[in-house]
Amino acid sequence: MHDAMASIADARGQNFAARLRGVPGVAIILVLLVVVFGLTSRHFASEANLLNVAMQTTILLMIALPMTLVILSEGLDISLGAVLTLCNVVLALMLVRGAGLAGALAASLVVGGAFGLANGALVSLAKMPPFVATLGTLGIAQGLALVLTDGQSVVGLGDAIESIASGRVLGVPIPLAFAIGSYGLTHWLLYHTRFGTYVFAIGGNREALVLAGVRVNLHHIGIYVFAGLMAGLAALLLTARMSSGHPTAAIGMEFDAIVAVAVGGTSFERGEGWLFGTVLGVLAVGVLRNGLNLLGVPSSLQVVSIGVLVMVALLIDGFRKRR
Amino acid sequence: MNVLDLRHRASTGAIALGYRLIVVIAIGVALSFASDAFLTPTNILNVLRQAALLFLIASGLTLVILTAGLDLSVAANLGLAACVAASALKATGSPVVGVLTGIACGVGVGFANGLLVTALRLPPFIATYGMLWVLHGLSYYYMAGETIYGFSPGFREIGSGYLVGVPIPIYLMFVFLAIGWFFTQRTTWGQEIYAIGANPVAARLSGIPVQRRLLLVYTLSGGMAGLAALVYLARLNSAEADIGEPLLLPAIAACLIGGASLFGGVGTISGTLIGALILTLVLNGMNLLEVSANWQPFVTGAIVLAGVGIDMLTRRRAEEKH
Amino acid sequence: MKRAMLMTAAAFAMLAASGVKAEGEKIAVFTKNNTNPFFQAVRLGADSAAKQMNVTVTQFVPTKPDSIPEQMSQIEDVIVRRPDAIVFIPVDYKAMTPGVEKINRAGIPAVNIVDRSAGGKFVAFVGANDYTIGLATARHLVRALGGKGNVVIIEGVRGSLTSNDRVRGFQEAIKEAPGVKLLASQPANYQRLQALQVMENLMQSHPQIDGVLAANDAMALGALEALDGAKRKALVIGINGTKEAVDAIKSGRLLASGDYNGFLQGCMGTMIAARNLRKLPTPREILLPPVVVDKSNYQPYDIPVESRTCPKWESIVKTGR
Repeated sequence: MHDAMASIADARGQNFAARLRGVPGVAIILVLLVVVFGLTSRHFASEANLLNVAMQTTILLMIALPMTLVILSEGLDISLGAVLTLCNVVLALMLVRGAGLAGALAASLVVGGAFGLANGALVSLAKMPPFVATLGTLGIAQGLALVLTDGQSVVGLGDAIESIASGRVLGVPIPLAFAIGSYGLTHWLLYHTRFGTYVFAIGGNREALVLAGVRVNLHHIGIYVFAGLMAGLAALLLTARMSSGHPTAAIGMEFDAIVAVAVGGTSFERGEGWLFGTVLGVLAVGVLRNGLNLLGVPSSLQVVSIGVLVMVALLIDGFRKRR
Repeated sequence: MNVLDLRHRASTGAIALGYRLIVVIAIGVALSFASDAFLTPTNILNVLRQAALLFLIASGLTLVILTAGLDLSVAANLGLAACVAASALKATGSPVVGVLTGIACGVGVGFANGLLVTALRLPPFIATYGMLWVLHGLSYYYMAGETIYGFSPGFREIGSGYLVGVPIPIYLMFVFLAIGWFFTQRTTWGQEIYAIGANPVAARLSGIPVQRRLLLVYTLSGGMAGLAALVYLARLNSAEADIGEPLLLPAIAACLIGGASLFGGVGTISGTLIGALILTLVLNGMNLLEVSANWQPFVTGAIVLAGVGIDMLTRRRAEEKH
Repeated sequence: MKRAMLMTAAAFAMLAASGVKAEGEKIAVFTKNNTNPFFQAVRLGADSAAKQMNVTVTQFVPTKPDSIPEQMSQIEDVIVRRPDAIVFIPVDYKAMTPGVEKINRAGIPAVNIVDRSAGGKFVAFVGANDYTIGLATARHLVRALGGKGNVVIIEGVRGSLTSNDRVRGFQEAIKEAPGVKLLASQPANYQRLQALQVMENLMQSHPQIDGVLAANDAMALGALEALDGAKRKALVIGINGTKEAVDAIKSGRLLASGDYNGFLQGCMGTMIAARNLRKLPTPREILLPPVVVDKSNYQPYDIPVESRTCPKWESIVKTGR
């Protein structure tokens, strides 16, 4: 039993070392994009613009980070966008009813956590394939968002929420502070707790964990609950950004998160991955969109570029792995 | 992976299919009590036609899922193929050219997906998702926000025509059901596809040309998307860039409700047909009973969970018996 | 001597400056998506106006149709570019208010077109009154029915301003005619296929439908396909005045379509933005009058959008449009 645990911890350490050995594809792409846009657009490298890019990517980052854990455990959570949207709607509705920021956030976290619990139970206890389970909860979350709002935006949220979007803490804009904090939390969870070891193990070799007497189900469910809670938290930023709740606000965002995770170097199988790669992946997509907007590239071409970026990033990593 | 295992899968598959047929009939019975309008010939034909459209695109997707893969680009492929076929139709006025162009486009895209997965070894999720974006971009660029409309009556028969009082898409549905059944259950290629999904390593070791078969399934998936595009085109009598967009999740849902497993090696074309039927029946019922459209995603999600859940329960019980 | 020369030079410079017309201003135009032909018409209108007024227009469209966060990001990116003016259609008229406020804070003048934004400051609004268009078009159908019959409404995107207002107009017209009965009202998201399927289902529940009020042309045409497929007939109206609708009016399939002219709104929004930059007089609001296009007056709408050019500013202001 002890050997199983030791070898799992070993594997996790090895991943990190392997990452440092070669420069990951996503880093190359990010640097390339920054250089190209820096040269072709005089606005790109300005402080205001770089700050924009950082702020624009915070919400995606906050769901891409837990998505990394889910994918590391050989799972997938395609309900995150819909859950984020539902949390946004719930948060907005609570604010409208005078609940105050703390109460509204609490409600949002409860909703996110509940969906996370459902996903985790379906995947770990009922042994449903993650794509299927989260496809089901995606529909349920999206349906609830539509029903609660009858398709309309929820506005009139008061001023407290706006301070989240524009306020600063210790000189750092609040959304950025959330992003940095989320990264710190996820990093700690993944690389410095036993829970994190189990995440890798569930992806690499679940049976070994069961044999080692670990309460695997608990941790497996925990991964999805973490994702749901992060969605609930990210809803705060989303609501602040729009000053409203909208039933289609973040639909489809989970696919962007999955792409960011994959582009960042986390593999869909084998439980291999790199958390900071996700950050770079999110930034790469954000920089690409921002740069293309600054250059005034036609929208249809932007759409094609995103597809190409996705494929190229993984091609680079694929070639490298074969060497 | 030996022959006995495959036979075993076939028998559990038959049980699962049986359960599903019962579900379909049960839903039908419930709806005929709930709404007077349900059991009329026109409505039943409508439902079957809508299910046929969904089935055509989901059937190719089933083959990909059988190999433990996924093709997220089918709906975007349908959109592009429809637009390309539409211009060909308007340019030449010939239904034959239009049909060939649409299918060629679908096959071409499918083949490209296959190359990404086999030659470039991209994970199917990423390859087809990237392709989805590329195809959407191409469609937007090509259509420039316009619609192409007004096709010849001959062509439109494919989607809106009737034969002996039954809409033509329904015939197409049965034809491809038969072809699909024959391909997956009675040809070596079909059996190999199951084997690849169930255990790719063993499949390769037993001499199955895995890469070639994968290339085949993605190409077929694309081809079916192209075919489905033609039927949609004929039904709507127009093409727009986003004609396929709302179809992706229902197509995947139909496969899953029909019993296909994303782990690979499990599922049938007939199952997908029944999955498409169940989905369409429920949505039809919601329309007839004037349930708010807001509930549709909720109901779809619930059905997926229920369908797969029951499926897993019955499969586990069947496996315990063996 | 030197001072006299300087003075003359200054005088000349001032004269020159007052006579110079500003040229080549940069205007950013925001539309909702790549897929709805209506917005393509708006973009073409903006491009045509740009040629007339000698400004450059850059188009911004979310890659995910109607995506609120994406339009928000595009606004931020555009502010960094600092265009001289902005012509703006919010993807959601309520949720984009913070975005408009960002534009206001950046000091970039903006013209609001098509969907009236619920918040933020604008130089002008160009649009149509969806309610009056819905009302006028529906009245047209009610009149054609002779004031009695069964009708159904096919709504657009639930929660969108245009759909809400148009449907209200429909309902008002129905209320005015006691002999007309509203059987059902269902949304089809402005989509042709959905409208087709909704219509098919409605025809099942209601054997007798005499009129269909669709909130846009795509849905009206989808409903027509459904009717044709079932070999049933009904009077159908749509809204947008697209070329395809005009063709259907010509052939007698479609009764009428409310003119909701995207091309013109794009023209006027861009013209107002340019004129505003050049300190020329501009109205604060232009509401296109409701015109119902039917067999009697379709000719001007029969021109494909690509071939149209913006009307001259003087003619727009004179006719009060």
